[in-house]
Amino acid sequence: WRKVYQAVIVYLAVVIAGFYLFTRAYR
Amino acid sequence: MRPLDWIVLVASLVSIIAYGLYRSRGSNTVDRYLLAGKSMPWYAMALSIMATQASAITFISTTGQSYVDGMRFVQFYFGLPLAMIVIAAVVVPVFHHARVYTAYEYLEKRFDSKTRALGSLIFLAQRGLSAGLTIYAPALVLSVILGWPERLTTVCVGATVVTYTMLGGIKAVTWSDVQQMAVIFAGLVISLVTVIVLLPQSVSFGDAVYLAGAAGRLNAVTTTFDWNDRFNLWSGLFGGTFLFLSYFGCDQSQVQRYLTGKSIAQSRLSLLFNAVAKIPMQFFILFIGAMVFVFYLFVQPPVLFQRAELARIGARGEFAPIAGQYQQAYEDRRRAALALVEAHHSGDPAAEERQKGAYRAAQKEIDRTRSAAAQLVEKSGGEAGFTDTNYIFLSFVTRYLPAGIVGLVIAVILAATMSASSGEINSLATVSVIDLYQRYLKRDASDRHYLMASRCATLFWGAYAVLFAGYARRLGSLIVAVNKVGSLFYGSLLGCFVLAFAFPRVKGTAAFAGMIAGEAAILWTAEYTNISWLWYNGIGCAVVLATALAISVARDGAASARPASPRSGPPQPA
Repeated sequence: WRKVYQAVIVYLAVVIAGFYLFTRAYR
Repeated sequence: MRPLDWIVLVASLVSIIAYGLYRSRGSNTVDRYLLAGKSMPWYAMALSIMATQASAITFISTTGQSYVDGMRFVQFYFGLPLAMIVIAAVVVPVFHHARVYTAYEYLEKRFDSKTRALGSLIFLAQRGLSAGLTIYAPALVLSVILGWPERLTTVCVGATVVTYTMLGGIKAVTWSDVQQMAVIFAGLVISLVTVIVLLPQSVSFGDAVYLAGAAGRLNAVTTTFDWNDRFNLWSGLFGGTFLFLSYFGCDQSQVQRYLTGKSIAQSRLSLLFNAVAKIPMQFFILFIGAMVFVFYLFVQPPVLFQRAELARIGARGEFAPIAGQYQQAYEDRRRAALALVEAHHSGDPAAEERQKGAYRAAQKEIDRTRSAAAQLVEKSGGEAGFTDTNYIFLSFVTRYLPAGIVGLVIAVILAATMSASSGEINSLATVSVIDLYQRYLKRDASDRHYLMASRCATLFWGAYAVLFAGYARRLGSLIVAVNKVGSLFYGSLLGCFVLAFAFPRVKGTAAFAGMIAGEAAILWTAEYTNISWLWYNGIGCAVVLATALAISVARDGAASARPASPRSGPPQPA
């Protein structure tokens, strides 16, 4: 399960980074 | 509502309930009635967890919030994946091994009966208050938008929920939730596609996104830190993590979803599915609100979306100048939006910046006139803190969406109401029977007796929710206060469970005193500071831990405050 939890944390980081870039691109 | 809408609405809801009852056959023991005989697959639990969390107000209010304030509400959910990892890793195996019906039953196995009783009562108080509002809030909006009688709506929805929850237990609730989420997903996708199709021919999807962003409606991430601001990256990551740890780890309405799992792995998968799917789902709902905003750039929206209040202030003399200014601001914004799209396509940065300034100035004027109209509502005897956020999306749906799709969206609203309400009623009944009735009133009755008691408790809490909803209007602005109450109770419960899992030598009396101190700290923070409610859970949890550990050290020595080693994990009760 450790790898699954790590994958979820990486996913969250990617989502936040994606939203951040999305916000910057369209403001 | 046209005939086709009614056909779609009734067919959706009848098929959901019939399927739920069909799948719940054989729920004839307490174990099957309350825990589905621990037979649920991960995908059913995952969708049930999602459906229980998503009430009607989630869809009505979130789209409206995006319309007026942009997408920054999505940050509220950034802590959810982190909380789900902790719960999947730590809480799920403990609850499964402890073979409990409720989260609070574990507190007695780990601490003592008074800690269990306090945990149960906190849950019943908090969830009991919100059970009525879950039904009342959408009924209020539907009464304004569609003219449906409020009380009739609450009674019909409440009676439907009680019927399938009482007859089929948690299996009926879970399988109905699965169907309800299917209707909700379909409704959301069709809504977004329809909004985009309704945009003017000259405005492409790319232009629509550009216009929403230029008006500040795509502000999905705010990196500035502010204690008093509910939605920024930091309050979402830290405050949100504590909030979702409390909600998914200590609230029986959620714990009961994943206690029905076939195995620890299935329960973990159901939580991790939500860790991955919840943020995109909220982003999608908020994006619909942003596109509705763009739609109204080219079709004049009413000054206020709450039609009854708009009609009431429309007759007053002070409203005429506000309406005139609003009309002018709308025309200015429409022209500026079209000019901005043209400048954007021309590739002239200076012209684009100039048009962007005009567009934003017109938007600011619209916001000012809407705010003046809202103040006029308050000043002329309307509710204090009036806002029309909850009316925006459904006003748009009923006015502009084609026949059939309106029925589907109303089915989404009612399905969300029923899924959230059935989860609440089912869990309130479980805690009432397992933690109070069986523990303190009738200890050694037959399984059949407790099954009947569970059905009666379901009927009681369902009737209570409907009655509470019927009188909710008389509570007036107390409604706002009751909504806030939810965040006043979670912190101390979370602190108690952290003690149970992370500090194996802390005893019941220290935990009990810690919970009381934590609750007092949250109430003090709410009363005397401006700190946003998103932080209450972290504050309450910290005070519980500090108090309980101090008492534990004083009574049993420093060794009693040693945390569990990461290798051994939380203590498993015998």
